[in-house]
Amino acid sequence: MRVVIADDEVLLRDGLDRLLTEAGFDVVGKAGTAGELRREVELARPDVAIIDIKMPPTHTDEGLVAAQDIRTSHPDVGVLVLSHYLQSHYAMRLIEHHPGGVGYLLKERVSGVGVLADALTRVHEGECVVDPTIVSRLLHRARNAGPVGQLTEREREVLALMAEGRSNTGICDRLALSPKTVEGHVRNIFMKLGVGESADDHRRVLAVLNYLRSRPQQV
Amino acid sequence: MRPRQARLGVILVAASFAWFLAGWATPGAGSPFVFTAGIALYATAPPVVAHAMLAYPDGRVRWWPGRAGLALAYAGAVLVLGLLAAAVFDPAAEGCAQCPRNLLLVDGDSGTYESLNRVGMYLGLACSLLLILLAVAGFIRSAPAGRHLAAPVVAAGCIYLGLVAADYAHSLARGFLGDDPLDRWLWLGQAAALCMLSLGVVWAWVWARRTRSALARFVIELAGSPSVGGLRDVLAAMLHDPSLELAYPLADGRVADARCRAAELNGEVTPIVRGGQQVALLSHQPGLLTEPALAEVAATARLVLENERLQAETLSQLENLHASRLRIVQASDAARRRLGRDLHDGAQQRLVTLALALRLAATRLGPGLDAADAQRIKQAEAELRAALADLRELAQGIFPAMLAEEGLSTAIEALAEAVPVPLTITALPGERFGASVEAAAYFVVAETARQNAAGVLRISAARRDGRLVVEVEGDSAPANITDLEDRVGALGGSVMTVPGPDGRARIRAEIPCES
Repeated sequence: MRVVIADDEVLLRDGLDRLLTEAGFDVVGKAGTAGELRREVELARPDVAIIDIKMPPTHTDEGLVAAQDIRTSHPDVGVLVLSHYLQSHYAMRLIEHHPGGVGYLLKERVSGVGVLADALTRVHEGECVVDPTIVSRLLHRARNAGPVGQLTEREREVLALMAEGRSNTGICDRLALSPKTVEGHVRNIFMKLGVGESADDHRRVLAVLNYLRSRPQQV
Repeated sequence: MRPRQARLGVILVAASFAWFLAGWATPGAGSPFVFTAGIALYATAPPVVAHAMLAYPDGRVRWWPGRAGLALAYAGAVLVLGLLAAAVFDPAAEGCAQCPRNLLLVDGDSGTYESLNRVGMYLGLACSLLLILLAVAGFIRSAPAGRHLAAPVVAAGCIYLGLVAADYAHSLARGFLGDDPLDRWLWLGQAAALCMLSLGVVWAWVWARRTRSALARFVIELAGSPSVGGLRDVLAAMLHDPSLELAYPLADGRVADARCRAAELNGEVTPIVRGGQQVALLSHQPGLLTEPALAEVAATARLVLENERLQAETLSQLENLHASRLRIVQASDAARRRLGRDLHDGAQQRLVTLALALRLAATRLGPGLDAADAQRIKQAEAELRAALADLRELAQGIFPAMLAEEGLSTAIEALAEAVPVPLTITALPGERFGASVEAAAYFVVAETARQNAAGVLRISAARRDGRLVVEVEGDSAPANITDLEDRVGALGGSVMTVPGPDGRARIRAEIPCES
């Protein structure tokens, strides 16, 4: 898989390059600013761009804005945004803009090559990736109040995987369940939560995340 | 009587004296001295009255055309009609056998006498009209503030001069100032006009006295129950100048009114000085405050002036204090924000790079690594992750980046995901506020959430009447809100704890947010 890395920290950029290369990825470009990133994407046409959310000049959300631009201008290029922020706000901004082919991971995931490789593959396949830590925090908060607390342990696991952006097939693999069983769980979850089920996996992520985010505000 | 009134008084006395001189130039005068004085000065009343009118109110004629007009009028009356005519006037030869002797007679010449009379009357007529014009022009030129006092005097004087001119015009045909019925009517009219003039002078004097005593009374009342800025209103009302402003020079070099608002001094500015120091500045209509009146104001209002000046000084210091409080909070926020950002961009970033390097090293060593070393590396990686989590929490607590970047509402929503207690958000503003306002509102919520370990917190934040009102309702009120009070107080707002429904406690912060 062809990958472009954008991060203004040279050490981290090079380290990530080596790690991904050793894991069998093809790093075709590196960028330190949003402008360089856009140029690299234009030239190298990667499958996925890994983008740090904070980049010069203001170090706020340049990376996120660049990621959204790339999704719009190059629909065949997936984006994986790395960030230190645990809050769901930036992830939601990304997903709401383009629910497929995008990912939002905590930056420290770069050292876990397994998680990173999994996320890159899923983004490349058009899925949506949300960091498990963010999802588990949302889920923890939501289970204090309302229908989420009434789900079974297994259903909560399925809900978390849906929120992380996994498809039914992905959930089957993770939990070692049959497709039929997973479909049953999904149906039950949507019924218990009172959320309309969506056939589209991307829309499903948005619906679930929105539900979890808004939960404690409607007690 | 004060000097300026004394000067005017002398002129007024001279005018009344001159008025009676006309009566001495008659056969019944008896003494030759009296008779001679009579024929020499019988026409001086009009110039002296005009002099009094032009010199009102301080006894000086300051405008040069006025002085020139008066000189001409005096010359015509005293020289032409008086001394020169007297020198050629022989009473006996003119048919007045009973008249006393003319002591000024040099050589009786009836023809010259008649010519001088005629010239004098033309001159008198012209001068009377000229002086009326000068009086009106002088009145228009005078300071507006004093006009209402001068008006009766000038009007009466002009009427008098008008009647004098009419008498001269009437007498031209016969060649001398006579005593026919029309002359008598004009004379009565002149007498009435002079009475009006005197009354005008007396009225103005009484009025000024009353104003001063009323001012003193008000100022004394004001000193008894001071109201801020009251002195300016009293002075403006008493001196009939609504544009009057009173300002105080403050220790920090500013000039402000009693309420410590920056003062705009327009028009004429008169400093009130005491002990060599300016204690106040009065701006007013030109000519309103001449020296004696100013001294009176300064003396009567001394206590109140001092009081208001101190008041302004205190308010100014309070303002400075307030500004410095705000600066402290802003500086502390800026420092917190910088620290949070340094942690984020520095320490967190380095730890991530370190974790990456560790992983790379472990991958390189790969098969050569024994089980114990692999375990150690795993432990180190776990420690790194824990350190990153701690740092993240620390940075978030110091100053959440979300607050500056995305605003109060997003920051509170993000806070709801981070704190252990469930937050129920009922209202959030859709707009952005100033950085200090947002920070104060955020920390009210964050601090209350930190101090409430259990139970659900209900949060609302909304703009109401130019204030951002933040309410947090929980099982108990936070034990310590001093920090919040300091922070919100520095922005001119307030924090209070009020009882909520069902025995819950509510903390309510109101922060002014008008830009």
